[in-house]
Amino acid sequence: MRHRRALELPFKESTTAPTPQQGPSLRSGDLLRPIIGRNHASTLVPAELWLAVHLGAPSSQPTPQDLERLGARVQRLTPRVSLDPPDGLLLEVKGSLHLFGGTEGLSRETAGECSGLGMLCTLAIAPTPLAALVLARAGRADSGGERPRRKRGSLRPAASAEVVTDPAQLIGRLAPLPLALLRWPQDTLDRLARVGVRTIGEVLRLPRAGFARRFGTAQLLTLDRLTGRTSDLKPRFEVRARFRRRRELLYELESHAALGAVLEPLLQELGEFLEARQCGVLALECRLHHRAVPPSRCVLRLASPLADPMQLAALLGERLSALVLPEPVRACELRSGPLVRRVLSSGGLWQPGEQGGGAAAQAPQLIERLRARLGPEAVHGLRAIEDHRPEAAWTASAIGGSPARPFAACGEPSQDHSAIRSPRRPTWLLLKPRLLNEREGLPWRRGPLRLLGEAERIETGWWDGGEVARDYYTAVDRRGVRLWVFREREPPHGWFLHGVFG
Amino acid sequence: MSRELSRLLEHPAIWRGRSAARTRTLPTGFPVLDEGLPGGGWPQAGLIEILPSCFGAGELPLLLPALAAMTQRPQARWCAWVAPPLQPFAPAFAESGVVLERMLVVQTQRKDAGEKSALWAFEQTLRSGTCDMALAWLRNALPRQIRRLHLAAERGATLGVLFRPREAARNSSPAALRIAVEPAARGARVTLLKSRGGSRYPIELFFG
Repeated sequence: MRHRRALELPFKESTTAPTPQQGPSLRSGDLLRPIIGRNHASTLVPAELWLAVHLGAPSSQPTPQDLERLGARVQRLTPRVSLDPPDGLLLEVKGSLHLFGGTEGLSRETAGECSGLGMLCTLAIAPTPLAALVLARAGRADSGGERPRRKRGSLRPAASAEVVTDPAQLIGRLAPLPLALLRWPQDTLDRLARVGVRTIGEVLRLPRAGFARRFGTAQLLTLDRLTGRTSDLKPRFEVRARFRRRRELLYELESHAALGAVLEPLLQELGEFLEARQCGVLALECRLHHRAVPPSRCVLRLASPLADPMQLAALLGERLSALVLPEPVRACELRSGPLVRRVLSSGGLWQPGEQGGGAAAQAPQLIERLRARLGPEAVHGLRAIEDHRPEAAWTASAIGGSPARPFAACGEPSQDHSAIRSPRRPTWLLLKPRLLNEREGLPWRRGPLRLLGEAERIETGWWDGGEVARDYYTAVDRRGVRLWVFREREPPHGWFLHGVFG
Repeated sequence: MSRELSRLLEHPAIWRGRSAARTRTLPTGFPVLDEGLPGGGWPQAGLIEILPSCFGAGELPLLLPALAAMTQRPQARWCAWVAPPLQPFAPAFAESGVVLERMLVVQTQRKDAGEKSALWAFEQTLRSGTCDMALAWLRNALPRQIRRLHLAAERGATLGVLFRPREAARNSSPAALRIAVEPAARGARVTLLKSRGGSRYPIELFFG
């Protein structure tokens, strides 16, 4: 067996004489398998070594949560962990070999983590991630999970781990494995099986060009990654950190006033947690647990990531003050939403409002505070839209986290504002036009309305269903208030009040 | 009067009965009104009260030129509208040169018991120091609440404008400036009910 494998790999030619019958297959054109020359091979010390974990739960597939939990736990072995859903996990262990007692020690540690979570696993170590995965999938699931109370890291021979550290031996080890381990589409596997290709070794002997033409370049890329011909970049798994703390109270709280003091240490801890990660939160949930009824929940949503415990306490205080407590509070719990990267900036020298004071930095806080108490939609900006219909000529715009940025309008030449030129639009708009009474053909509102000037006809919007056909007038009421009224051009010809000037 | 004494009297903390207070002001955009107002314009910090005889008497066009000038400054801060009674109509402001990106509308619930949240929001905007001007519509503000708002506005260096019904003129108020506005032909008639050395006569304004 060893002899045959050695013959397959050209750079072993020096140690073992080639047999004549192997010669033609090597020389017959461009093969899928990389042909490694002696000089090349000597430089090809594997730059990476991948440990693959194939999880085989006894009854079902591992859930994504299981995979993430395992990913988080094996991060103590190496910083480069990537997940291969649904059941694979990859660890780059080249740098950790000497720390954990070589491949054997690492396999043992990894298997220990798996059995600690009650999962069955097979392990393999290979120079490329895909090869390690394929080897791991090929391995038999050992009886790792049958004794779930085994101590973590206990001495258990990781006999099941397939270890290939030498890239030269990789293809020989992969060759007898069935193609199905590559998880290609069943259709492709069937077509390959029809031409008599059932193992990885057989598919590697096919000519590249023909293979790509018949089975697609994606499959060719898989093979290249398998053999290490092209690099295989794996996304790094990062643990989703959340903050979650619970504080049991020694006594039952009934008033809102004391809640702030109780939550303060939790918020302080949250602040330190966020500070250490240079992150902020966009959502924060506070749960107040009671004796009998389900916990009261209070969710704070923020427009920009925040980490300052003082500000969070102020905002949460606003929210909590509106909360009705059905029962005394026995415990409180703080849960953060996902952490968000925060742009750090230095503090200002001036107090806000002073000359050059940081109005810009303070504005998001003001908006957050208003939103926390009045509701998220209570605070908005204004934007004018190019539309003749008054209802559609404005919109409430969202206010982001960065308020004071230079505006294009600032640089425009300032108009002469010594006197307002007759504004044709009212400063106030009624969201719903109000029907006015009509007497002797004229609108009536607490007395007859006097129409000024000529009508402005607005007749548009037939294309989007909001069709209007109106004649707008400026009218003066009995007290001298100027109103913006219109008369419908459609039959009932009703008079409506739509705005107020000033 | 000796020079020392006159220099002492220039101190902004001192004001005498009929002399205009030395406060930083902003031109109103109406030369006639500037002449009548103490310091020649709207104060840049502090609370003023505008008491229109009825809604829409011209109280908003009165402020529009100053609002436009304020928001066009490169270092402009926000201009907040707290609890406006109707929807501020954006095209009208854009027409008058107001930079709409600086506007911040704060709506409070219609059924606001005792205008608590509107009062709170107004105080927050005044105190934060992030607004050049904050406008609020309150019906039943008490003198001590107005005093609090005035202090908040001075702290935040914000011009707070409080719109109240004309009936409120009967009650005392700690605001630095109280103005009654009533509609006139193509403009408004402005009377200074309370000011530190302003004009005592009604001022006719023409809104063009």
